[in-house]
Amino acid sequence: MEPSTQKFHSLDLLPRGCRALLVAIEPVREFGLQDAQVGLRLKELGFVPGVELEVIGHGFFGADPIAVKIGDTKFALRRPEAQKLLVKPL
Amino acid sequence: MSALDASLKLALIGNPNCGKTALFNLLTGSRQKVANYAGVTVERREGALRLEDGRTYSLLDLPGTYSLRITSADEKVARDAILGLLPGEVPPDLLIAVLDATNLRLGLRLVLELRALGRPLLVALNQSDQAKRRGIEIDLVALSRELAAPVIETVAVRRGGADALKQALAQWQGEDRAGALGNTGGSEVDRDAEAIHQRVERILKAAVPKPMPLPIWQDRVDAWVMHPVLGLLTLFLFLFLMFQSVYAWAEPFMNGIEAGVHLLGSAIAWLLPAGVLRSLLIEGVLAGVGSVVVFLPQILLLFLWILALEDSGYLPRAAFLLDRVMRKAGLSGRAFIPLLSSFACAIPGIMATRTIADPRERLLTIMVAPLMTCSARLPVYALVIAAFVPKQTVWGFANLQGLTLFVLYLAGVLSSVLVAVLSKKLGRRQHVYPLLMELPSYRLPSARQLLFGLWERTRIFLHRVGTIILALMILLWLLASFPGAPEGAVQPPIYYSFAGMLGRTLEPLFAPIGFNWQMCIALVPGMAAREVAVGALGTVYALSGSGDEVAQALIPVLSAQWSMATGLAFLAWFVYAPQCLSTLAVAKRETNSWRYPLIMAAYLFALAYLAAWLTFRIATALST
Repeated sequence: MEPSTQKFHSLDLLPRGCRALLVAIEPVREFGLQDAQVGLRLKELGFVPGVELEVIGHGFFGADPIAVKIGDTKFALRRPEAQKLLVKPL
Repeated sequence: MSALDASLKLALIGNPNCGKTALFNLLTGSRQKVANYAGVTVERREGALRLEDGRTYSLLDLPGTYSLRITSADEKVARDAILGLLPGEVPPDLLIAVLDATNLRLGLRLVLELRALGRPLLVALNQSDQAKRRGIEIDLVALSRELAAPVIETVAVRRGGADALKQALAQWQGEDRAGALGNTGGSEVDRDAEAIHQRVERILKAAVPKPMPLPIWQDRVDAWVMHPVLGLLTLFLFLFLMFQSVYAWAEPFMNGIEAGVHLLGSAIAWLLPAGVLRSLLIEGVLAGVGSVVVFLPQILLLFLWILALEDSGYLPRAAFLLDRVMRKAGLSGRAFIPLLSSFACAIPGIMATRTIADPRERLLTIMVAPLMTCSARLPVYALVIAAFVPKQTVWGFANLQGLTLFVLYLAGVLSSVLVAVLSKKLGRRQHVYPLLMELPSYRLPSARQLLFGLWERTRIFLHRVGTIILALMILLWLLASFPGAPEGAVQPPIYYSFAGMLGRTLEPLFAPIGFNWQMCIALVPGMAAREVAVGALGTVYALSGSGDEVAQALIPVLSAQWSMATGLAFLAWFVYAPQCLSTLAVAKRETNSWRYPLIMAAYLFALAYLAAWLTFRIATALST
């Protein structure tokens, strides 16, 4: 996990207050067969490549879940969902 | 009232929390529950929309959904109703897509999906007052042109806020159904999420030329209440104040009601000669019903807090904070709101689990919902606390009675965690489900909605008092008064009555946990409605007294008749209170089998007995 060597990383690695551009939705193992469904639901909620996101908060234990602001809407995501979101910090 | 076979069927559809139910209430005069979070409505509801010219349409209120591609049981209800897939139902003649004017993006993409269905469509731009206050200017003409459907502004939380919509609907029937309204062609049907997103962005550009960001104070509040440490502290402070206020503020009102009941009893005693009728009215009705009604102020105070929190948009933040903890128990933040509704009553709580996508988590939430202290248990707690917990201040600021109440609520919550953790060990985990929970923007709770909600609670409570509770009290009075005492009786007549026999039959079972036969009598009608246990104690002790005196307040009677250990054991029993038949019935309906309600009844009974036994033994040991 060395963000400096990578241009993009997943949303769960961003600190609070960080803004980022969503680059892609990647598959993760956690959701098993439902992975594509989760990806689609994320897109339906506005997590579409090209949008700007902002991490606005973290839960108490293990910085999970993660609160994200996208446009005027705020969502709570868990780590696996956040891991699907490949972003480029701004 | 004109029949509901109304010629035409209309359906309200939109994102969660965009105000469909508030609009439904305004259009039909119904009083369905609304709040500021996703998933308040989980079933399809039908109401009559009467227009000024006397025509009646049938209006459907549906659970909110982000998409017609469903992920949970409540979204399925919405989709199936729109597509006419529910058994014996035709698709609605007109879809009224409700948009939240302050959060257009998500709403518009659903509208585009609806348009692709090729059905008559009308768009209600709700919360338009909020949008204007924030300085968001929406070009209705452009929006209507882009969506190829009429767009009408509404303010669902204000009287008259849907008049324009009513007028539009009144004009509708005269016209060719498909022509005047947005009847959508298939040419631009595009199910691809990214393409829909692009289209939404284009529409937004045309209709909202100057987008306004969310007010900065909203982000500041979030930075505070969602802070991992400050946020949790704030949550606990809220809950603490809530239970303190139930004791600190309700007392004058309760004294007033008590005095009223006493006055009524004196009046009856003065008017009627001693006899059966006087006993029925004083010992049966007044002692029973009166001892329940006294707790209305406390119930309303608790609801004032809950309603204000619900309306503000704070609750999903609390769910966010607790998600990780709940996950340890196999639940998630999504289960938080159904469980919180269970503090009012487990029945709507169990229904609200439909918003939980994971079937295992949903089942688990249903199973632990009865452990949340429902408002029907509040009178029992309040009565016993008043009788046994001294009115004193601890740590210089906290009211001990309020603190005890807080602890009892906490005991229910902790027990649910324990039950969830244990049952997690039994079942295997399948796969992970996403949380994906929207955090709505804050708003000031509206006084109108709060009063409306409190009045609704009062109505429900008084209705219960006037029907089921009154009927049970009269029945109990009959069973507790006949047959009378035999010759040379040493005990009061109730001891020899049918109810007394029942109580004495049950007594050996409950003696190990410190319950006497009077308490055993009270447990039986408590199965139909928990607060009846309080009323039943009122009647039982009124009849156990010397007979002629005016029904006196139950609290001093209990503190004189029960030991401290018995009182505490009774409280512990009611934390689990396994005796609510309606909860078992709704659990049967939502799980489609008798298996789970039976398990529920069995485990609650076992826990209640165990907790009461432990409490009784420990308290007895400590007091000797």
